[in-house]
Amino acid sequence: MRPAGRKVWAIPGGHIPLRTTGPEPEETSSDTVCLLNAGDRDAAVEIRVYYEDREPVGPYRLTVPARRTRHIRFNDLIDPEPIPLDTDFAAVVISDLPIVVLFARKDTSRAENAIAATLAFPCD
Amino acid sequence: MWENWSGNLRFSPERVERPESESAIRDIVRRAAGAKKTLRPAGTGHSSSLLLATRDVLISLDAFRGIESYDPAKREATLLAGTTLGEAGNLLLALKLAMHNLGDVDVQSVAGALATGTHGSGKHLPALSAMVAGGRMITASGEKVEFSLEKDPDLTRAAQVSLGALGICTALTLRLLPAYRLHRREWCTTADRCFAHIDDLAERHRNFDFYWYPRSDRVKLRTMDPPGDAPESIPYARLVEDRTGWSSEVIAKVRTLRFDEMEYAVPAEVGPECFEAVRRRIRERHRKHVAWRVLYRTVAPDDAYLSIAHGRATATISLHQNATLPFWGFFNDIEPIFQEYGGRPHWAKKHTMAADDLMPLYPRWDRFIAARRRMDPDGLFLNPYLERLLGEEKA
Repeated sequence: MRPAGRKVWAIPGGHIPLRTTGPEPEETSSDTVCLLNAGDRDAAVEIRVYYEDREPVGPYRLTVPARRTRHIRFNDLIDPEPIPLDTDFAAVVISDLPIVVLFARKDTSRAENAIAATLAFPCD
Repeated sequence: MWENWSGNLRFSPERVERPESESAIRDIVRRAAGAKKTLRPAGTGHSSSLLLATRDVLISLDAFRGIESYDPAKREATLLAGTTLGEAGNLLLALKLAMHNLGDVDVQSVAGALATGTHGSGKHLPALSAMVAGGRMITASGEKVEFSLEKDPDLTRAAQVSLGALGICTALTLRLLPAYRLHRREWCTTADRCFAHIDDLAERHRNFDFYWYPRSDRVKLRTMDPPGDAPESIPYARLVEDRTGWSSEVIAKVRTLRFDEMEYAVPAEVGPECFEAVRRRIRERHRKHVAWRVLYRTVAPDDAYLSIAHGRATATISLHQNATLPFWGFFNDIEPIFQEYGGRPHWAKKHTMAADDLMPLYPRWDRFIAARRRMDPDGLFLNPYLERLLGEEKA
C-alpha cells in the first residue's frame, strides 16, 4: 500500500495527569501517541520531548512495523528519561517514512473520566 | 578519573595498577602497605557503591581472566578473578559446565560480583557466592593464601562475600552444575493477579521474579524452567517472550540504559508484605518522577557470613532510577520501609546503613570481622566507606 501521512509531526499540548481514579492499568491517566504506518516498510521513529524550563530530552527511539499501528503511552517511556507527570511538555515525532500521528489523553483524575484525542500537527 | 557504569561514582585514585601476575600484585601490596596507603580492588565498575573508592591505589585485575583449571569429576573450576560472569558462562559451557544462576546482567567480574553478594532469582537457588569452594588471595602482608571449605571453612565463608576487605582475590574455585538449558518466558499481568499467585509462582518455577511498573500497576513475570518441565501457560498472564537456550545465554540480559539502584533483602515470608508497602508508597509519593520498574526476586539461604541471604530464605526488592535523574530523595524515602522488615542492603548498590545497623542483621558478623583483622591487621584494604560499613579503623 502507498504510505500515508507525513514524516514530521508536532504535539504541543502534553501534560500527563498525576492522579488516577479507578482500577489500573485500565483507568490509568495517560497521554498516548498513536502511530499508524500504512506503508510496506518498517518506520524508524524518534520522539523528542520539550519542556518549559529545560532543554529537550530525546530521542526516544521506536519502530512502527509495516502495516501496523502502535499506541505508546508517554507515561511508560523511560529511555532516555521518564516524562514527569503533571508537567507541561510538547513532543516532536520524526519518522523516516510517512506515518499518521494521533495524540490522546485519558484523564481519570476525577471519577468522571475524560478522554480527548486530536490529530498531531503535520509539520513537513 | 575513575567512573563506574552508571556514571554517578567518580574519583581520582593516585594510581591505577594493572598487574599481570600474582608476584606483581604482591609487590603492589607491599609498596602500598609500606607507604601506609589504601589499596582497593576494582572489578568492572558495575557497582554504584563506594566500596572501591580511594584516593590512593586502585588495583584492576583485568589481566586475570580465564579458567585456570577444572575438575570434571567434582564439577569444579578455578576461574581467574577478573573473568566476567559472561565470559565465565561461555568458557564453562565449552567444558559442559554452568553456574547455577546469574543475576540480571553478566558484565561484572567474577570476584567483584561474588564479593558483593550478587544473586539471581529462584526460591531454591542461593546467591552466586555460594558457589565458592575455595580460592586464592594476596593478603595485606603480601602473602599468597589459598583457602577452601575443606581446609579453612571459616576463612572461606568470610571470603565468599568479602567486600574486597580480606585481600586481593586472584582466583576462585566454583562448585558448578552440568551445563543445562532453560526455557525463558516473560508474561504480562497485573500486580493484583501476581500477588494472588506469588507463592505458587515462586514454587513452580526454577527461576521466578517479576517487575512491577509504577505508572501502570502492570507486572512482568519472568520464569525460567528446564525445557519440557514447565507449566504450559499462566492463565492470568499474557505470554510476551519465549525462548530456550543454554543457561549462560538466557538468564542475563544486556542493559544499555544506565541507572542507579537500591536493593534490600528481607525475609522471604514478609517479602510480599514489604513489596506492598513499597508499592503503596511509590504510588502515593513518587509516580511523578519515577517510571522505572521495581524488581522482586527470591534467593535461597546460604552460610556466607556477609551474604544478604545468610541463614534465611530471602526476597529482594530493588528500586531503579535513571542515572541522569536525582535518585536519593526516592531511595531515602523507601529505605526505612525495607529496614522495618529487617532488610539487608545489597553491598554493591546504594544504601545508607553503617556498622551499628548492620551488625545485628548478620549472626556471623563477628566472625567476618575477626577474619578481616587476621588478614589485614593494619587496614590496608579499608577505605573510609568500609571503615563506616564495618565499624573498623585503619591502624
